[in-house]
Amino acid sequence: MSKHRVSRRQFLSYTLTGVGGFMAAGMLMPMVRFAVDPVLKADKGGNFIPTKQKVADLTSDPVRVDFTFKQKDAWYESDVTNTAWVYKNDKGEIVALSPTCKHLGCTVGWNTDKRYPNQFFCPCHYGRYEKDGTNIPGTPPQAPLDVYPFKEKDGYLYLSQAKPRTGA
Amino acid sequence: MKWTPQDIEMYAKSKEYVDTVVISLFPVSFGQEMKQSASMSEFLTLLTNQLERLFTGRILTLPPFTYLKNGNNEQWLPLLKQWEKKLQEEEVKHIVYLTSDSDWKMNEAELEGTLIWMPSLPLETMDDSQKFTLVQSQVKQLQQLVTQKWQENE
Repeated sequence: MSKHRVSRRQFLSYTLTGVGGFMAAGMLMPMVRFAVDPVLKADKGGNFIPTKQKVADLTSDPVRVDFTFKQKDAWYESDVTNTAWVYKNDKGEIVALSPTCKHLGCTVGWNTDKRYPNQFFCPCHYGRYEKDGTNIPGTPPQAPLDVYPFKEKDGYLYLSQAKPRTGA
Repeated sequence: MKWTPQDIEMYAKSKEYVDTVVISLFPVSFGQEMKQSASMSEFLTLLTNQLERLFTGRILTLPPFTYLKNGNNEQWLPLLKQWEKKLQEEEVKHIVYLTSDSDWKMNEAELEGTLIWMPSLPLETMDDSQKFTLVQSQVKQLQQLVTQKWQENE
């Protein structure tokens, strides 16, 4: 047996410190986790969403690429499907344009108006954009179409959130 | 534009560009037709949302006109007329009704707006990708009808 006898008073204070410590840890841990959470999440930021479009299949003609991701809206998590117009430009670089008209947010189509071939056309107020997304002066839109950052992985195209550009 | 505070704010700012209002007509039934009426409202909700995405800048979707289904729709006509009157005062040029309830066809002539009847499809039996393609193809037809309507009046 140990020579050092533990008195009743000491025993109680050890036990209390121990239990108190656990309780404090139990309270602090989640708090610290919450405080640190945004930092941990930042790694996932700007996440790229896979599409079914093979990069090798892209040509100079814009094609419609749909991609779906989860969007959380208060309590409700829903699948949102976004669309991009994707093609390769003269230099062979991939261009992924958002189809959302910069005027009031309708969906623009490629080559849909016969009077204006090879342009993006908005059916709502007849806004038009060049193939590279530049708005054509004299039509309602005041800015070029947004661009999706993209990357290639295993031969497939990945797209992120559309970003506005400055231009005409 | 949808019936949400954010979109309505946008509507207030750019009212002159929004000349079309879409109202879906939802019958509510009980008993045997209960499931069918639920299926209609699911289908129409999807359809209106997609249509709104295509034409965000020119269309305002109102909350659906919901009515109890018993017999024909004669009794709801005056109510709908009131909506129409108000919308015309608000200088809305085109009113589009979307419904799966074929009974409205009988009252079509009395309505100012365009009635588009879409047969309801049993979406509950399909998987997501099928649903998507199907709704997409229906929306395409709808899109043509609406653009046609716009072109007629120009």
